[in-house]
Amino acid sequence: MNDPTAPAAELVFTRAFEAPRELVFQCMTQPEHLTHFWGPAGTSAPIELITVDARPGGAFETVMINDADGSRYPTRAVFDEIVEPERLVWTETHSGMTVTVSFTDLGGSRTGVEIRQVRVPEAFRSPEAQAGFLTSLDRFAGYLATLTAGPGAEESR
Amino acid sequence: MTVVQDQLDATFTALADPTRRAIVARLARGDATVTELAAPFDLTLPGISKHLKVLERCGLISRTRRAQFRPCHLEAGVLDPAAAWIEDNRRVWTQRFDKLDAHLRDLQGAPNERNDQ
Repeated sequence: MNDPTAPAAELVFTRAFEAPRELVFQCMTQPEHLTHFWGPAGTSAPIELITVDARPGGAFETVMINDADGSRYPTRAVFDEIVEPERLVWTETHSGMTVTVSFTDLGGSRTGVEIRQVRVPEAFRSPEAQAGFLTSLDRFAGYLATLTAGPGAEESR
Repeated sequence: MTVVQDQLDATFTALADPTRRAIVARLARGDATVTELAAPFDLTLPGISKHLKVLERCGLISRTRRAQFRPCHLEAGVLDPAAAWIEDNRRVWTQRFDKLDAHLRDLQGAPNERNDQ
């Protein structure tokens, strides 16, 4: 089943932040911080809808709410690994996608964050996962359409 | 419904290989024969054919039945769902990072615009 030679497509994003690693790690794991940035432009992520049970097997749940029409985009995941302040790994239950967040101390109070997303092919083969993933694709497509729809879409703060 | 997901999965898997990505990039510039495709790589014709079969199976390329040349053609439309998904994902993380950057500045008392050092 788990063919080690099967290539898994990866998506990697990196960013350097002007902040110490401990603080950046806290931001990614504490609802009072996540609420400030988890929802991309044009959405918000209310703190009361964020669950972070930061331990292996613990839940990581968020809801992004479209500011324009109130539509909701919940994401549920389960933590696989928590190594403070170096690494976070969670797997999304609807898509089977595993997200690894690595925090690197760049010195001088700067921190590199790498988001590595791996699709887990086996997980995608369950009908439930497939349906869930499609649903989230549809939602994202609709959500992005609203984001790019009108002027002023980028004035998010 | 499952067909779409399988297609997306197959596309991602096919493109996870650097040689196949290079082949797709080459075909994006125009049709090419197997020999032309093999040229930039240190690969035998059977080797390149193996990659082409993977790409053909997931519908990313097609081959005409014309004599021995059988030029390969990129079915670019197949890439659309995968490209859209990647683009959406990138946008979400970019915007999250932008907001996180602003949040970290707020937390640290916003030092006056000293970005470059």
